[in-house]
Amino acid sequence: MRRALLVSLTALGLLTACTAEKDPGLDISTPGVPGPAKPGTLRVLASSELSDMAPVLAQVEKDTGIKVRPTYIGTLDAVNMLAKGKTDGQYDALWLSSNDYLRLNSAAADKVVSETPVMSSPVAIGVKPATVSKLGWRPEDVTWSQVEKAVQDGRLTYGMTDPARSNSGFSTLVSVASALSGAQSALTDANVLKATPRLKEFFKGQQLTSGSSGWLATAYERRGDVDALFNYESVLKGIPGLTVIRPKDGVITADYPLTSLKSTSAQTREDVRRLTEDLRTEKIQREITERTHRRPVVTTVRPAAGLDTARRHELPFPGSSSVADGLLDSYENELRRPSRTVYVLDTSGSMRGDRLNRLKTALTDLTGDFRDREEVTLMPFGSHVKSVRAHIVDPADPQAGLAAIRKDTKALSANGGTAIYTSLEKAYDHLGTDRDTFTSIVLMTDGENTEGAKAGEFDSFYRSLGTDQREIPVFPILFGDSSRSELSHIADLTGGRLFDARQGSLDGAFEEIRGYQ
Amino acid sequence: MGSASTLHRVRRIAGIVLAVLLMGGVVAAVFAGRETDDKGTATKTVRMVIGSEKAEYFSDPAVVKALAAKGFTVKAETSGSWAMEGLDLKGYDLAFPSSQAPAVELASRYKVHGTLPRPFYSPLVVVAHRSAAQVLAANGLATLDTEHRGVLKMTAYVDAAEHDRTWQQLKGAGKYGELGGTLFISSTDPESSNSGALYLAAASYVANGGKVVADKAELDRTEPLLKKLVSVQGAQQSSSDAVFRDFVSGAGNPLVWVYESQVASLLTGGQKPDDLVVLYPDTTVNSDHTVVPLTENGKALAELLSTDPQLRRLAVRHGFRPQGAASEFASDTTYLKQELTGVRQAPVPTSAVLHEMARRARG
Repeated sequence: MRRALLVSLTALGLLTACTAEKDPGLDISTPGVPGPAKPGTLRVLASSELSDMAPVLAQVEKDTGIKVRPTYIGTLDAVNMLAKGKTDGQYDALWLSSNDYLRLNSAAADKVVSETPVMSSPVAIGVKPATVSKLGWRPEDVTWSQVEKAVQDGRLTYGMTDPARSNSGFSTLVSVASALSGAQSALTDANVLKATPRLKEFFKGQQLTSGSSGWLATAYERRGDVDALFNYESVLKGIPGLTVIRPKDGVITADYPLTSLKSTSAQTREDVRRLTEDLRTEKIQREITERTHRRPVVTTVRPAAGLDTARRHELPFPGSSSVADGLLDSYENELRRPSRTVYVLDTSGSMRGDRLNRLKTALTDLTGDFRDREEVTLMPFGSHVKSVRAHIVDPADPQAGLAAIRKDTKALSANGGTAIYTSLEKAYDHLGTDRDTFTSIVLMTDGENTEGAKAGEFDSFYRSLGTDQREIPVFPILFGDSSRSELSHIADLTGGRLFDARQGSLDGAFEEIRGYQ
Repeated sequence: MGSASTLHRVRRIAGIVLAVLLMGGVVAAVFAGRETDDKGTATKTVRMVIGSEKAEYFSDPAVVKALAAKGFTVKAETSGSWAMEGLDLKGYDLAFPSSQAPAVELASRYKVHGTLPRPFYSPLVVVAHRSAAQVLAANGLATLDTEHRGVLKMTAYVDAAEHDRTWQQLKGAGKYGELGGTLFISSTDPESSNSGALYLAAASYVANGGKVVADKAELDRTEPLLKKLVSVQGAQQSSSDAVFRDFVSGAGNPLVWVYESQVASLLTGGQKPDDLVVLYPDTTVNSDHTVVPLTENGKALAELLSTDPQLRRLAVRHGFRPQGAASEFASDTTYLKQELTGVRQAPVPTSAVLHEMARRARG
């Protein structure tokens, strides 16, 4: 039923893509319009993890004269775009971490001409060395049931990316579900159903969520009290001080197939072929493994030092979209910890007219994306906080909560000044502490602070909060005439991330932030 | 429902064909480009549509040169072998699918009479990691002739599959952490790819008591097994090239169904992968690269491919077995069998039966 969520996401696929992960760094900008076709340049719709390939691709460009212009996107969005023909004429190739999910969608699979694996990286767990020794683990022997037990006993907490937004999160979810369900072959609906109680227990250990691998690493370092991260081995190897464990009883491996598309010209596909060929040369394979910690796919090149070459059992990927989508659906609505979010919304006088209308549309659209069990609080402000309205999406009747959010949205009106900091303080007070949810604040403002507490006062307020409350990040959205420096300071202070809706759309920014909630 | 899904499948195939045609344009352009620079002996231009696994052979400069020396310029477009049935072959001199069944269908459609030339062929084999091959051998599912070569006992394998046998249940598997879960061979998607379809052809022949599946009753009888063989795999790849590359790079399932030519071509390339064992199924199928000549020029080219010593040598270099003398093949007997003794070649069901088989197995 919540599949609609992903489909609606697709509508703004381009936007999502653009604001998607410009890691590292906390803020994102630049719209992701792929641009017109240009001879010698390939517009590639790519997994965000591939941003680490920039130096390798620069070398490839020197060798072949082919320039790769990537637009980063999550797997699910990419597959939806492909299936709906939205990539036609916009992109020259596709380069996801894996085409497993793509193959389950026949409309998308029909758009593919050829696919060639270029490198590989398994999903792994990066654990703090202190935790490894506390648990008495030998990294090369750790199994999934040991991991599960450690989580159950409260001795292992972890972070992972949002499976609906990020390739690494989706692969992690499938690995965990396959391993914990005890499925001996490809996962079925029955396996997922049977494993649900164990999975629920397992996801209680998830303390961090993120729309991107880059921010996950940043948040992990900042928090300091999370024991582990699930991600691709290549990503984890890039984070200093983690012991990288590939569970002995099974991994899912990303093989990064460079994929040519039917909608492209013969010349384009010839360029894709040449690019693929160059990426598979010994020289470039060596570059790839040395620089990105991925594994080479030609036998003549050894994996970089530090990549353990002992084989691992490969967990099969589900063979039908009903299994894959069902798993995702239960993760979002049932398995993961629910989110609690306060939307601090600028409805000052300057928002009057078009801006307020855009805000209303964006919020109304967003109600299609809220998950079961989620708590959403709307806190519109002008010279002061105008109202505090909390709504819960009750699994028994999700529509009631969503309808109430829409009703409150409709009633928003613009007047007064802009009391950003006073309103943020209110939001922190409202949220209090809650360890069983993913708690965050979204701040949308179209101007600079004009009333109430000053920036310095908010800094002191934030620093006086208890540890648990200081872990609540603020995700500010740049909109209208808001101040970049003011908002990025708030994001930096609270461990959030800045989103830019000035060039894209407000809907896009709100959707993007979903991955972090 | 049957007709609707058939229609869908036909549309899919038509899509593949179109794409493949476009892609073929690239290949053709490359060849044509090379040829114009060459000397003027080439007089006859032959247009053909070929299975993608032969694209490298026909674009090999040595092959282009050898053909030119005999007065041929070849323009090749690639297509999935099964997708050729949906193509309009007007203006082509020959079609060259990777299997006999689609070739026979094409021949009847285009009223081509007489024996269809089969210049070369390649049996389907299973590539295994050493640990997997050793455990299979220790449990009577395979025998090993050398460190890198052996025979897979298909009856025992089919029996294991029917009983959902897991690696954990096999003795000796415990010491290899990578061997876990249900024992199965990975193949490509049988609905879109020839090698995946030939996996079902071989397994169904065994399950049908050593008889090719030919009618509805036999389809019904073999369906549960084939469904199992496919569903355990989860998501399947669509290209035999990709599954083989994944295997070689060490990712994925330890048993994969591929063309012998893929292994042979890797070996000729100078690679000697340490962790690779070639298991010849004791009952397998051949991928018979069969020519459907549509014109006199097409016929002449097929003749040349079958008989010209230089072109036969080049075919071997690309991993194919030329018809006739086995001695021409496989200098590297550590991995490969020079003669296919002890390997029974099962006939492939007709195109219609094979399609239906694949549809049911995936369903």
